[in-house]
Amino acid sequence: MASTEESQDNNPRGIPKAPFISDVEKYIGGPDGDVESAMKKIQDALAKYRYMDGNLAQRRRGLEEKIPDIRKTLSMVEFLNERREGKQKSDDLEENLDDLDLEDETADKKPLVTTFELNETLYAEAELEDTDVVYLWLGANVMLSYNITEAMELLATKLKNAEASLQSLQEDLEFLREQITVMEVNTARLYNWDVVRRRERRAKEASASTG
Amino acid sequence: MSSLRILSQEAESASSTEVTWDDQQRINTFSKLNSRVRSLFEKLQEVKQEKEALDDLSVELELGDEDELVMYKIGESFLHVPHNRALKRVEKDKSSLESQISDLSGRIGECEMEMQKLKTVLYAKFGNAINLDE
Repeated sequence: MASTEESQDNNPRGIPKAPFISDVEKYIGGPDGDVESAMKKIQDALAKYRYMDGNLAQRRRGLEEKIPDIRKTLSMVEFLNERREGKQKSDDLEENLDDLDLEDETADKKPLVTTFELNETLYAEAELEDTDVVYLWLGANVMLSYNITEAMELLATKLKNAEASLQSLQEDLEFLREQITVMEVNTARLYNWDVVRRRERRAKEASASTG
Repeated sequence: MSSLRILSQEAESASSTEVTWDDQQRINTFSKLNSRVRSLFEKLQEVKQEKEALDDLSVELELGDEDELVMYKIGESFLHVPHNRALKRVEKDKSSLESQISDLSGRIGECEMEMQKLKTVLYAKFGNAINLDE
């Protein structure tokens, strides 16, 4: 694509920038240049951008599902941690009072009762003893035990990473959006230019045959 | 699917106005902001719904018996927690959602303002040859 400006740069993730056509006539190579092949080139590029757009959008949806999952797990582990630290944590007087209430109950060594999903629509009750260890599902049929602080760190890092890649995905998608727009505008301008050229040609032919 | 298209019926007036690189960049920014606003808006709807659910929940909780344990859902399972604990968690979640809502609406406002500016410039130059509405 020789007769274009601003075409060499890529975005940080290597998505090529769309060429902007500053002068249609120059782009297709003179007043009698071939619109068809230029148009085809643009359509091909557009199709590639759209394909990429679809791909990235799908990855974004995947991450958008994954992030709440991580968050849920993290909040559960945080809850366990809070419970374990329990009474040491007190910020103000009111908290103190509340936690005194709580202390009464935890002092009874009442285990935490939970209702958990055994299978779809089937729930069972379980008592949770105070624990330092949680098991995190790492995927690939592997589960590892972590102590609670480690688990919190791990989950927080995972959450941060997922959010960071979501962020960069969004940037890529916006970048793609811009490139697609450039290509759409290019298409429209090329098309319009061709319409005008045809009309002028027809007018010329008409005046030639009458004159 | 696109918010931008130059109408073919307007071919003549469109081609009589040259599109410069500056114009192209304005159009790009507009279309970028347009899709950004859309996704922010979706997100905002979600958060608002969640907030409403929590509002209902806190009303219900205040009506509930203070001595009874509440089944509070964290992750996939329900924890039987004391009433005041549950109430406190709901309040905490609510305030975090509130700040998310104001953050999102602020960003939507910014985008819309920027888009309005771009619209004025672009319509002034291209008139009917460009369509910048949803």
